[in-house]
Formats: sequence, structure tokens, C-alpha cells
Amino acid sequence: MAGRAVFRQEFSVKGGDFAKAGAVACRIKELLKELGFDGQTVRRAAIASYEAEMNVIMYAWEARMKLAVKPDEIRITVDDKGPGIPDIELAMTEGYSTATPEMRELGFGAGMGLPNIKKNSDAFRIDSAVGRGTRLEITIHLNGHRA
Amino acid sequence: MNKTRLHAIDIAQDKCIGCVHCMTVCPTKAIRVKGGKAKIIDERCIDCAECLRSCPHDAIHTHTTSFDALSAFAYKVAIPSTVIYGQFGAHTLPNEILSALRVVGFDEVYDPSAICELNTAAVEEYLTEHPRPRPFITCTCPVVVRLIQRRYPALTGQFLPIEPPREIAAKILRTILPRALNLPPEKIGIIHVTPCPAKMVSINHPASLKKSYLDGAVSVRDIYPEVLNALRKSPDEALMRHLFPETLFSGIGIGWSLSGGEIRGLKKHRAVAVSGVRDTMRVLDEVEAGLLQDVDLLECTVCPDGCIGGPLQVEDRFLAKARILELIDAAGDRAVVDQKDVSRLYHKNFLSFDHPIAPVETPPLDPDPAKAIAKAQRRDRILKKLPLKDCGVCGAPDCRTLADDIVRGAARLADCSFVERRKKKKEKP
Repeated sequence: MAGRAVFRQEFSVKGGDFAKAGAVACRIKELLKELGFDGQTVRRAAIASYEAEMNVIMYAWEARMKLAVKPDEIRITVDDKGPGIPDIELAMTEGYSTATPEMRELGFGAGMGLPNIKKNSDAFRIDSAVGRGTRLEITIHLNGHRA
Repeated sequence: MNKTRLHAIDIAQDKCIGCVHCMTVCPTKAIRVKGGKAKIIDERCIDCAECLRSCPHDAIHTHTTSFDALSAFAYKVAIPSTVIYGQFGAHTLPNEILSALRVVGFDEVYDPSAICELNTAAVEEYLTEHPRPRPFITCTCPVVVRLIQRRYPALTGQFLPIEPPREIAAKILRTILPRALNLPPEKIGIIHVTPCPAKMVSINHPASLKKSYLDGAVSVRDIYPEVLNALRKSPDEALMRHLFPETLFSGIGIGWSLSGGEIRGLKKHRAVAVSGVRDTMRVLDEVEAGLLQDVDLLECTVCPDGCIGGPLQVEDRFLAKARILELIDAAGDRAVVDQKDVSRLYHKNFLSFDHPIAPVETPPLDPDPAKAIAKAQRRDRILKKLPLKDCGVCGAPDCRTLADDIVRGAARLADCSFVERRKKKKEKP
């Protein structure tokens, strides 16, 4: 019965909206704390969702971020309308970045975004269509104990 | 001193008129207005004193050590915060202020700036020896410690585990004074003079020590009139202090009370200073999201501009700040502490925490994960019925918090007057 309980929430993210950078990741983090996930699990989810949110803000036009929480699993999906990624394998390489000098000035574009998401998730899927958009699916399992 | 008191702040029920000022500014949503009076939820309060600043009715009281209570000690020692140097105008020298504190009734008074410099040097050494994690976070501000324990539990491992100057100074004095004075340790009272009520909490309930080395904290506000009197009464003394300064102030330490003061003396590391409770929370959110890893040390103080903006100081914050800047200018980057001494104390672990700072878990919506999810769903449904005007009339700071209180069993939907009015309209069309 525990497996059926799912908490869902949806957020929208706008490309270029640097003023709100991190707001969705922050809401997700707060929710997970309230739901009783332990600090390390929350932190992994916070890092992964922050990177995903920033990718939308930096590169895409808009996106829906969906959070689905089960008692022992967190899933974050990001569907963006944007330029898409021509070579996913290359984009997943640590240090590879297409960030503009302005973005780098802001401290982004170290080429760690997607690899960092993968590192902080237990399952990670990425699909992209050039000229249309990118879809990320991030799954994080409960890290052993609950808070 | 009541050692069992969890907080240094409470609300005087006879003065509180139940307005919503304190409740709406509380950054941890720790205040509710119930039965016409504001009440603090102990588990959520971090003693930041935002409520104290906002109360128009002087109903928020702080509990620091009263000067009278010090008569229990045969020998009284004061370790003032460097904030005190900014309190008495542009022509009063630090030495005069220390000397006035003696006139007021302390047997001995120690300048804190040297110990601040010592702390900076020890922090530098620690950062060099520990390349990870990044950023380390300073623990000088007891409110930041309590904030991180409760709201950012995953960051408790990032506190730089060196005690703040007030505890280091007290520890040194506690080690040497009983022998020097030939007095039993319990007869010697070591007292911090501070603009900050939260120091009292860190003394009564230390987060990183088995027991605080301080016996109490007297507020600058309480002691100010007497120090001012002492300064006025002794112009000759003032002249002497001007002509024969006996204490060498540390240029590195004297600016500690300003935001950025803790990191100003770091030479080899990249550090960032944040002040103000909301900005601190915003930056800690970023750290929790994995940012700022290129920063070695993050200095956080929740008062505006640092401790100089403490709620229990007296002088206008900007004038106090200007005075401290003058003193920094005058002292230059004069160092008064020998790096070898610091290194020795550091490697003897004399400056370290007794134990790591532990997270304080905040209760989830429900201990049962499936029920917690159900409650979160219900909370969303309740929120849809609420007006989202965040008026505070229900006794919760905003609609979202009311919805949260309802699912936690601490409030009812009927507490919302908008919901009630809508209901009445429906009943009588």
C-alpha cells in the first residue's frame, strides 16, 4: 500500500530567468525535508534539480519540472522546449560546455551540469531532439534510513 | 541564570497586543498568534531576534545575564565583543572603554581583538590542512549554527571546527586565572559583553562544547548607561589612556564585528562574507544545491552588517560601523599574535570543538512516509481553498503555513476568516 502513495507537484521554469535561478530546486528541497527524507538524500535531489533547473534557464526556452515522490523514491522529470542536444555523449562528458562567456562570468558553464546530475541520481535518462527540446528523468532512491 | 531556558527571547504576554509584525518577519516561521497573543514555537526558533526588531509594543524581551547576578563571583572578568568599541562616539579610544568597564565593576577586562586575530590565523591553518569540503562555514554566529542545524542539516559537516574568539578567550583565562589569582575556578566569573541575545543560548546550550567556558553574557544595552557615566566622570583617566595606551590592538582582529571582519585577515584562502538572516538563508540554499565549491570559507552572520548590527547594541549601526572602520584604519594590519603560538595551540587541539555540531531534525509531516505524502497532498488541497493573501489574521504567518499547521493538527480551516466569510455567504444567499 505504501507503494501507491505518490506526491506530485509541477513547476514551470522559464529560459533566461536568472533572477529566479534555483527557486524550483529550493521548493523541491523543502518538500522533501517535510516528507521526512534524510539530509543526504535531500541534498542529492537538491543538487540534481538545481543543475537541471539551471540548464533550462541557460539554454532552453521553457520547461515543466515534475516531481513525483514515493515513500522510497524521488523522481524528477524535466521536459524542456529548447534547442536540444545534438551529441548527448559529448554533453555528458565532464568539462564539456557550450556556455557563453557571460554565463561563465556568472560562475556557470564548468561543463559539470549533466555529469553532476548523473552523479547525484541512482537512475538517469536523457532524450533530446535537436530544435525541439530535451527530456531528463532523474530517479533517486531513499538512502537507507529516513530522518 | 536559568540554564534550562531554551531561548534568549520571549514574548511578554501582558505587553503583546497580538498584532502580526513579529510573526510575519520570523524567517523560520516560528511564531503564531493564538488567543490574541504571539507565541514562539521553541523547536523552530533560532534566536535571530528579527521579532525583537519588528515589535512596535516592546513586548519581546531578551534574557541576558543581569549585572547584579555577577555578585555571585569573587572575581569578575569581562571579555567584550569588539562591537563595544563602536558604541561611544568618534573620540573614545578602545582603552578608555575597557577602563570604563573596570570602573563599572569588572575586576579585569580583556581586549578581544588579539584573540580574534588568533582565531583567523588558526582558521587559515585549518583550511590549509583540510582541502575538503568546500566551503567551510564559520560558527561565530550562534544563530547561523542553530539555523544550519535545523534547516540545513546536511551542511553541519561543513562548520569549520574551531571555537569562536569569545570561547577561546574564556578558555585561556579559565586555564590561567585560578592559579594566577589563587582562587577556586567557580569563584571567577568570565563574562561576555555582547550586542547579541543568542550568545546566551550558545552559553547555556553550546552546540560544539560539553560546556561553555563563559559564565554569562551581559548585553551592551544593559551596561551602556553605566559605561557612559564612567567615561564622563573621568576625563583625566581618558587623557592618560590617550597618552599611555597600554593595550596593543590587533588591526586584524579589531574589525571582527563588521561583516567580512572574520575573513579580512586570511591571506591564502578565498572567502566570502554574508550578513542578514534572509541573505544568509539564500546563500545557504545555494551551498546546499552544491554551489560555492570554489569558496574556501563562508562567513555568515545573521545581523545586518555583522555583529555591529546586533539587536542589543545602542549606537546607530551606521555610526558604530564608521567608528570601527576608523579604528581599523588606525591599527592598519598590525598583528599582535605570534603565529608560532597559534600553531602550538592549534595542534594541541586547544582551539577545536569538543564534538562536531549535530543536525537537529525537524519533524516531518508524518513519521510514516506514506502518511507524510498523504498529508502533503491534503495540504495542497487546503491551500487551494485559502485566499493566498498572507494576512496573518488566522494566527499563522501565511496561507501556506496555515495549511501546514492544519495537516499537522495545530490549526483548523475555520481559522481563516476568508473561508469563514465565504461559507456564511453560501449559507445565506
